[in-house]
Amino acid sequence: MSELFVALTPANLLACFVGTVLGTIVGVLPGLGPAGAMALVLPLTIKLGPTAGLIMLAGIYYGAMYGGSTTSILINVPGEAASVVTTIDGYRLARKGRAGAALAVAAIASFVAGTFSVVALQLAAPMVARAALAFGPAEYFAFALLGLVLLANLTGGSRAKSLAMVLVGVMLSTVGMDPLGGTVRFTFDLAGAQAGLSFVAVTTGLFGVAEVLASMAEPVPAGAVPHVKFRELYPSREELRRSVPPMLRGTVLGFLVGLVPGPSATIASFVSYGVEKKVGKHRAELGTGAIEGVAGPEAANNAAAGGGMIPLLSLGLPFTPSTAVLLSGMMLMSVTPGPFLLRDHPSVFWGVIGSFYVGNVMLLLLNLPLVGVFARVATIPPRYLMPGVLVLCAVAAYSDNNNIFDVWVMVVAGIAGWAMRALDFGPAPLVLGLVLGPVLERSLLQALTIARGEISGLWASGPAAVMLAAAVVAFVAPGVAALVRRTATHRT
Amino acid sequence: MRRECWSAAALALLALAYLLAARRYPLDTLATPGPGIVPLVAGVALLGVAISLFVKTGRVGAPAVSFGPPTSRAGLADPATTHETGVAPIRPTDPTPQRVRRSPIVLAVALVLYAALLPRLGFIASSFALVVIASRLMGASGWWRPAALAAGVAAIGYLLFARWLGVPLP
Repeated sequence: MSELFVALTPANLLACFVGTVLGTIVGVLPGLGPAGAMALVLPLTIKLGPTAGLIMLAGIYYGAMYGGSTTSILINVPGEAASVVTTIDGYRLARKGRAGAALAVAAIASFVAGTFSVVALQLAAPMVARAALAFGPAEYFAFALLGLVLLANLTGGSRAKSLAMVLVGVMLSTVGMDPLGGTVRFTFDLAGAQAGLSFVAVTTGLFGVAEVLASMAEPVPAGAVPHVKFRELYPSREELRRSVPPMLRGTVLGFLVGLVPGPSATIASFVSYGVEKKVGKHRAELGTGAIEGVAGPEAANNAAAGGGMIPLLSLGLPFTPSTAVLLSGMMLMSVTPGPFLLRDHPSVFWGVIGSFYVGNVMLLLLNLPLVGVFARVATIPPRYLMPGVLVLCAVAAYSDNNNIFDVWVMVVAGIAGWAMRALDFGPAPLVLGLVLGPVLERSLLQALTIARGEISGLWASGPAAVMLAAAVVAFVAPGVAALVRRTATHRT
Repeated sequence: MRRECWSAAALALLALAYLLAARRYPLDTLATPGPGIVPLVAGVALLGVAISLFVKTGRVGAPAVSFGPPTSRAGLADPATTHETGVAPIRPTDPTPQRVRRSPIVLAVALVLYAALLPRLGFIASSFALVVIASRLMGASGWWRPAALAAGVAAIGYLLFARWLGVPLP
């Protein structure tokens, strides 16, 4: 536990500062999201070493949640999907002249939720990791399968499309050497494909290049950014009083939603808003510029970001694109996340958790006085920003293996990702299928070998049986629900 | 609707091609599973999903079943949301439709050329050209500003990655 103070060394403080500032900028900018930005700086973080490198990556991850709210409130442009719901009441508040109060409440809610989720993460992650030590291949297979099915259900849009993307991701993960026997598959004699498709190249393509291509067809927000003076950043006593209950509800809800696979930060913010509409004392005012509509969702999306770290740190299984990039960063730095992380790399584990505390304070101190500066970043024309992003994508992809093949993978992934967006296929399920594919394959084959070919070996243990049953229910339930709905409509 | 059918057909084709290529990897037995098992399962599952997508989109007017929150992309606020609240969104600048349609395709071609020319021309020259083309396609006027931007990006990229981080850029 004393390793928590590792986060306070000058190098780690600097890494945390740079990460949180970059994260805030990424959160502010429409287009480039935290996963793409984290993939872009991977080569840089490797140079910093595991602890500082991962602290910087994590800073981008939760810094983006802070930044996203700024432009939602000031100019009605959510920097990332988790802040979409904040525009509803946040922008309305700004129009009423309460922009400063809304920004301050968003920052305070983010801070409270961020800090709560770190405390919960600090307590829960080692417990889950200890429990996971008893996990065998069958349990890992069941958990990864459950994660992917839930992911397909919760990604939003068509479930079949999400499922298709998960499967394409799993298929792409089979390129290269097979995880058990070492057979080289689907390389078509391309030397660069022997080690498999570079995750960094695919991610920079899908989340970087594809975003740049898609942003060309989107209108650029134009308009003046309202100037918010520092002394206007004080919410009134009434506003603060009204913010506390939704902030606390959002924090707990967000953390719990964060444990579930899928775009948990976005879902958490919508769930929190929905809950406030049902139980909030001033629910009638929601949608007209109520402070509860900022406090709840902003707390929820930050708490979810913390919750999402638990499966990654304690089981080594990422369920969001951002945590998948974090996993990739850990692997590149020879740190294997999972139950043994705490035992083998305690300074990395506690250093990253400690940096969350420091990062949350930094973000609060940074975001309040510099809110106007960050908001102006959103109005930089893409023609000056996006070409540089393209070159950064290429360098990030190349430097993964110092290989031109990976640049080709990035270009193809970028063009495919752009087409996928146009056809409403999300890139997140594909990336997670790519990351979890080898885990699924390895654990399935090992479980079958251990059970001497008996399929029932996959559900012989209690936890595996429960998780597989949950996966089956999650797979079947939406179809059954749709059937019931259809029958009911036919009857009426 | 037609677009949806085409994308379902493309997925089915991808699944078939993958299954065809996977035939050469042995399945062995369940007790000693071979490297062909997971590709077979994944390929068949994708084929099944593609067929179900095709059937679903084939039904005229069948809505896509949605679970979870709306897939709002970061960017301009959801029009439905702003409509609901009655808050006027900030007016976007109107892009030229034809140029908007064409420019991502031109940039995609430029990216393919970039990957092809990177080993021949090297990082600095090819990145310079890519940035100039990309910023012009995104609406930068004249040549001086794109050229200055490109020179800056190429120089900073080279100094940061090749010099400081020691990445052996081509």
